[in-house]
Amino acid sequence: MGIFSEQVVINRDIEGVESYVMPTSATDVVTISGSMLGGSLHSLDKNNKVPSMTAAMLDKGTIDKDKYKISDILESVGAELHFSNTLYHTHFTGFCLKNDLDTVVTLLAEQVRKPSFSSDELSILKTRIIGNLERNKEDTKKLALIGLLRNIFPQSHPNYRETIESSIDLIGKVSTQDLLSFHAKQYGLGSLKIVAAGDLAPESFNNLIAKAFGGWAHKKSEIPRIKEKALKTKGATKEINVPDKTSSDLYLGQAIGIDRDHKDYYALMMGVYVLGGNFSARLMQSVRDKQGLTYSIGSSISGVSFGADGYWSTWGTFAPDILKKGKKATMEQIQLWFKNGITEEELSAKKNTIAGSFKVSLDSTSGLSGKILSNAEQNRTVSYLDKYPEIIKKISLLEVNSAIKKYIDPKNMFAISAGTVA
Amino acid sequence: MSQKNKTTFKGFDFIRSSGGIEEYTLIKNGLRVLILEEHSAPVATFMVTYHVGSRNEAIGYTGSTHLLEHLMFKGSRNFNKEKKTAIWTELQNIGAQINATTWNDRTNYFEVVPSEHLDRAIAIESDRMRYAFLKDEDRQPEMTVVRNEFERGENSPFDVLDKNIWASAYHAHPYHHSTIGWRSDIENVSTQRLKAFYDTYYWPNNATATVIGDFSKEKALASINKYFSEHSQSKEPIPPVYTEEPKQEGPRRTVVKRVGQTGIVGVAHKSPEGLHDDTYSFHVLSKILADGKTSRLSKLLIDKGLATSVFMYDFPFLDNGLFITYAFLTPGTDHSKVEDIILSEYKNIVENGISDEELKRAQAQIRATVAFSRDGTYAVASALNEAIAIGDWTFYTTFVNKVEKVTNKNIKKIAKDYLIEDQSTVGWFLAMEPKK
Repeated sequence: MGIFSEQVVINRDIEGVESYVMPTSATDVVTISGSMLGGSLHSLDKNNKVPSMTAAMLDKGTIDKDKYKISDILESVGAELHFSNTLYHTHFTGFCLKNDLDTVVTLLAEQVRKPSFSSDELSILKTRIIGNLERNKEDTKKLALIGLLRNIFPQSHPNYRETIESSIDLIGKVSTQDLLSFHAKQYGLGSLKIVAAGDLAPESFNNLIAKAFGGWAHKKSEIPRIKEKALKTKGATKEINVPDKTSSDLYLGQAIGIDRDHKDYYALMMGVYVLGGNFSARLMQSVRDKQGLTYSIGSSISGVSFGADGYWSTWGTFAPDILKKGKKATMEQIQLWFKNGITEEELSAKKNTIAGSFKVSLDSTSGLSGKILSNAEQNRTVSYLDKYPEIIKKISLLEVNSAIKKYIDPKNMFAISAGTVA
Repeated sequence: MSQKNKTTFKGFDFIRSSGGIEEYTLIKNGLRVLILEEHSAPVATFMVTYHVGSRNEAIGYTGSTHLLEHLMFKGSRNFNKEKKTAIWTELQNIGAQINATTWNDRTNYFEVVPSEHLDRAIAIESDRMRYAFLKDEDRQPEMTVVRNEFERGENSPFDVLDKNIWASAYHAHPYHHSTIGWRSDIENVSTQRLKAFYDTYYWPNNATATVIGDFSKEKALASINKYFSEHSQSKEPIPPVYTEEPKQEGPRRTVVKRVGQTGIVGVAHKSPEGLHDDTYSFHVLSKILADGKTSRLSKLLIDKGLATSVFMYDFPFLDNGLFITYAFLTPGTDHSKVEDIILSEYKNIVENGISDEELKRAQAQIRATVAFSRDGTYAVASALNEAIAIGDWTFYTTFVNKVEKVTNKNIKKIAKDYLIEDQSTVGWFLAMEPKK
């Protein structure tokens, strides 16, 4: 047993809704988070922006309330409700005082069940999002990451990213009919998961959920099966010139060919953690702390959820005139790591980090609810959260170093930088 | 505020309590300690706030407080690489969240740790309070690290505009320069100067230690006493900042032109020092102007397609600050049109005030925000840190009560007294086409 197994109360009384409630000794506050299937991979046609626009329109009015009325209800009690969208899910997050939980849950249900999708509001939203995307054209980090992913994944892979220009074009084409169709197909009971943590009682929260979501139509939906695999790339280098920038962003990366359910995933993850997972990892200690070449550098594995074969990337920022030097220093560390692997001492230290981080992550209701939701989305039992530090503890040095050799190939990394070319 | 329930702990004088938080002074050296037991998770936060920030710098060594903050991680007598007890390694290997931040009026170092490791965090902070190495061989590579932090900030049109607005609004007072400092000062300040800065300000009598979380008060205070009592108080008094900003006698403007995609408008007015009674009214006004979809400027700018986002910058500081509206423009939107709308809305507030409904809504928003600032040990420490910086930690615990007392009349008065043209600084970021 552990803190999550003992304290999280799960309820599945209503078919198609799973609720997870974790009462804590926080005073007065409750954090809600939840999701249902309906991410950009569920789009009905080639316009993958429809799901995110549908989610973004949920706070722009319902059949019975315009956006001002919705905001007024929330703001008059100091509560917040936010909607967002990922590749797989539509997410929501709420913050409120315990006495306002009824108001917030009732409103949340109305917003997801009966959005109005007003054409005027869609037009305003498009202007805002396109404005933000235009601004992204000068974001060196975003440009470099998009460039990396476009070069190591094929267009139909979930980890592929379209260009900013293409995103602007797709946003411009979204119609209210697209939103209505997507909502009709995707939104409903079936995959709905709701987590609440803080100053609340499970029974009364579940009664609220039953009242707010009971009777909603069921929708069949599942995680799209990933058929495409990453591209087999050879090492290459690319520069994106962004004028008037004093710092460049560098990404080095490649596809790894496995997802997070693969037996080697945790071993590889620990290896990458030793290379660049935090400040005491090798890259920060050498390229930043010793050589002073960067403010920030790190390494991680991403894009491995729900059966997608993910990628390993190393990211750092450098002044344009020392970009080459920074890249060389980074490559040296990667080569050393690849050649010699990590040590028993390093692995042991990082295992302790993960065990301690687990406790620290219990510090706030938002940290708790996010962790519980993410675990539930992966169809894992709550007890998995308690077992996680033990799973990590069992990984051996041999497994880690074998995984590094098996999935990393420094000779064939793709290197891309964005900034003002020196 | 309460003087009751006075509890005695060896080595400490009890000073006062407010909102469940107790204040003590370490008798040996004057270190102020704020403590709150909170047992909802097996976690504790320990933080030391030094009452020194970029406000204590001058030309030639701007950014020193921040650069010094970086060097404080390079090792001290008992926690260093040679002994294999480097600060990052010691703390990250137990899963701690660890960092430090520098701002106008303060520098803080904090650790969020599994509660059984609280003693280690206290030991580290005590050690580096007086025994940091501050070697020149460490400054050299760290200077370029900080310079890259500066360069990353310069990548952002917003950061550049914000620096320009503060530099235009403040001529004499050190709020003129940003915490990161000027590039040439970052590059050239000497290790000797940084050491002098450390030896002037890093003393227990110029610091507040905050400890929040899952521990017994008796044990936590005993640990603080054990480690921090080895320090004496400063031999010299901590030097005050005496530079005052001369009266502003007319509107100021600043324009930043760079290659970019979209424009930004910032409209700033001088606001009072953080502990002034008008601070609460300003905070309410900022909610009414730009927090949420029902806010006035959201309706006037975002809903009209003129801005992608609008927000207020109204942080209270030790000295006078700035009350700034920032609007990120949609492509093709005219800067002057947005500036006119913001100023016209200010005029509207001066002439007509606000509605009762707006006031109640803003007060409810603030009530909830403050309640969430109690969600977690780090959240409490972080909120306390800013109150400590402006000179009175009970600013945090009494904030909601003071906000509840704000009236429509107060809002009209601050708008009339402060939001005047002669006290304004307007900044535009103009996005230019790249040169062919």
